Amino acid sequence: MNKPRFHPLTWWIFSCAIAISIARVNSPIYAIAVVGVISVLVFTQKENAPWSKSFTWTLKLSLWIIALRAIIGVLIGVPIPGTVLFRIPILPLPHWMPGIRIGGNVTLERLTSSISEGIIICSIIVIFGAASSLTSPHRLLRVLPIYIYEFGISIVIATSVLPQLVSSVTRIRTAQRLRGQRTSGLTAFKRIAVPLLEESLSRSLDLAAAMDSRGYGINKKRSRYRPIKFARIDTAIISMGLLVVGLS
Amino acid sequence: MIKFSNVSLIYPNSTTTVIQDLNLEITEGELVLVIGPTGSGKSSLLRLINGLVPHHTGGILAGDIAVDGISTALVKPGGLAHLIGIVGQNPANGFVADTVEEELVFGMEALNLTNEVMRKRVEEVLDLLSLAPLRHRAIATLSGGEQQRVAIASAMVTHPKVLVLDEPTSALDPIAAEEVLSILHRLVHDLSLTVVIAEHKLERVIQFADRIVHIDGEGSTRIGLPEEILRDSLLVPPIVELGRALGLSEIGITVRELRRLTQEFRETHVPPNKSQETNSGSTLIDVSNLNIVYDGKKAIENLDVKIAENEIVAIMGRNGAGKSSLLRAIAGVSKNSSGSVKVCGLDSQKLHGKVRRETIGFIPQEPSDLLYGQSVKQECEQADIDNQIPLGTTDKILAQLVPGISGHAHPRDLSEGQRLGLALSVVLSSNPKLLILDEPTRGLDYQAKRVLIKILIEFARVFNRSVVIATHDVELVAELASRTIFIADGEIIADGTTIDVLLSSPAFAPQVSKVMSPQPWLTVADVVSSLKIEK
Repeated sequence: MNKPRFHPLTWWIFSCAIAISIARVNSPIYAIAVVGVISVLVFTQKENAPWSKSFTWTLKLSLWIIALRAIIGVLIGVPIPGTVLFRIPILPLPHWMPGIRIGGNVTLERLTSSISEGIIICSIIVIFGAASSLTSPHRLLRVLPIYIYEFGISIVIATSVLPQLVSSVTRIRTAQRLRGQRTSGLTAFKRIAVPLLEESLSRSLDLAAAMDSRGYGINKKRSRYRPIKFARIDTAIISMGLLVVGLS
Repeated sequence: MIKFSNVSLIYPNSTTTVIQDLNLEITEGELVLVIGPTGSGKSSLLRLINGLVPHHTGGILAGDIAVDGISTALVKPGGLAHLIGIVGQNPANGFVADTVEEELVFGMEALNLTNEVMRKRVEEVLDLLSLAPLRHRAIATLSGGEQQRVAIASAMVTHPKVLVLDEPTSALDPIAAEEVLSILHRLVHDLSLTVVIAEHKLERVIQFADRIVHIDGEGSTRIGLPEEILRDSLLVPPIVELGRALGLSEIGITVRELRRLTQEFRETHVPPNKSQETNSGSTLIDVSNLNIVYDGKKAIENLDVKIAENEIVAIMGRNGAGKSSLLRAIAGVSKNSSGSVKVCGLDSQKLHGKVRRETIGFIPQEPSDLLYGQSVKQECEQADIDNQIPLGTTDKILAQLVPGISGHAHPRDLSEGQRLGLALSVVLSSNPKLLILDEPTRGLDYQAKRVLIKILIEFARVFNRSVVIATHDVELVAELASRTIFIADGEIIADGTTIDVLLSSPAFAPQVSKVMSPQPWLTVADVVSSLKIEK
């Protein structure tokens, strides 16, 4: 490994800062630009570890969210006046549901506002996806204080079991293909989801049991074998993040 | 050191008692082996020792368990971390760090040991388990055997007085297993460590055990010396079976003992000259010039192999030698392969749907990957519909393979052997020409293994089909395979009849042949049948 190893908190603090700036600027163009820069950063910096894939996954997830939001935003919601793109018939709703309208005129304004909101929300998700794919969850756990014990266990489980899901999906899909099943579509999704959920659940239990039986969280104090220190580069990255917040 | 007094255990929503009224005292420096059929509660017994059961799993516990005077009812599992090191069935699921060194210190950091102590102990344990060259490696890149050693090391490094291991060798090749067990043996003798092991492959561990706890699955337990327990147990290693078949008055547990007892037999009996079965079947699998590359490393290099109809071929080799890669390439799901793989003259990469099901049946390492139904019945019906065969056919196959499974049971709740049986009947329902199994005997007891062997032999002989199986289990290969291929570093090292390949290396020789050497007998059945011929 010739890449520098950063302090595990560096990227998380940096991401928080960037996320705040996205929320403050509140401009989809800024959000897209930031996601672009972050993507370059992630693809040059990430190691070949299971959690590194979480960035690509959050990207895919975001596209889904944006599409879904656009559809729902068009169907339901407050009608915003403006250029009418097309009309869909209004679905009659019972009288006890006032103020909600399904269908009606679809205006350009309504479409753009729901898409741009979607982009901002998703860019924040992607930013945190980037942080988690650049930081080893295990190293993160080692620097977190011990009194957030329950939280620590959940973090390790969430961050180490979820990425393992990615490799499990591949494995189960292969197995299903060997059974001569299709591996796309809704039925196939169910066929993969069931064994996947069961496996991740039992994995999480195993991991929690292992951490518990090794005394995690029993002592309030925790010693450090090789303390992880903030290096100059970490400080630089964090100050850069804070600078961005200040400017926004 | 460990004291069970009147311990009973019942899990919620379950009608069977896992353990009933167990009284057991394990003294310091003892190595106790826990045996029993699959799903009988061996793991539960082990996890009772540090309180994971019932603290983590729930369940009703009666009686008391004390370790070094501390009752597990009063402290959480973490409170016993300085006393007990525990290694789970699948160590890969329990790793909490990225590199070997970080994993080793995790427990010590939690116990708040000082830096000097930690440094000393890390060096010590790295030497003890010969892990020094791996200290900075990422755990994910280690082989199964190395991971197992890391797991043991990280349990050892806190200097516990008790070490608890759940099937420590099930995923290991014979040589790696031997290594791990001899380290344990040394720890017991040098440091007077108390060790409790659960294991199915008795032939690997029996010679190290001081006492055996036998759990029968209905709650009752028997405790005694290995000789006493094995005298009338159903779960016995081949070596004891051999002693029984020969009608010996004593029970021999080590190869050395049994060789002494059978000296006369070996001198007076000769195995019949087996007429070399020449395989006349036509070629079913034709692999030529196969290359597989993972992350720039070659997993399989220029491999050529032909497998004929009605052959049962075992593929053996170290952890990480490329066995699974080869199987996946034959099945046509390897992405990074080049070269040609033909099954029944068809390119296996291009098989889909029904044609695939009728050509290749594949049982992966985790048979549950194939299953997604909510009940056994649903699973069987789905297979019937997929294959357009009358409803109930798969169910019938299942009833033949493993009788007594309730149709309403959830596949997850089945024991390891039953789940394999279910996956196998789903695959067999489409009547494939080729059956591939990847490491099928993990977690199977001797009886389940015997059933599996019978099914596979019948499948190959009666229906004239081929079976390819990758495994570490030497005894399985001896009883099942007609031909054995040995792989190392992605190359075929040996390829020949099972008897030739297995007998050529002592590490991979089955127990019976070790006892009978230099006479070439492989299995108890071979010895029995040659006795019959003589009569």
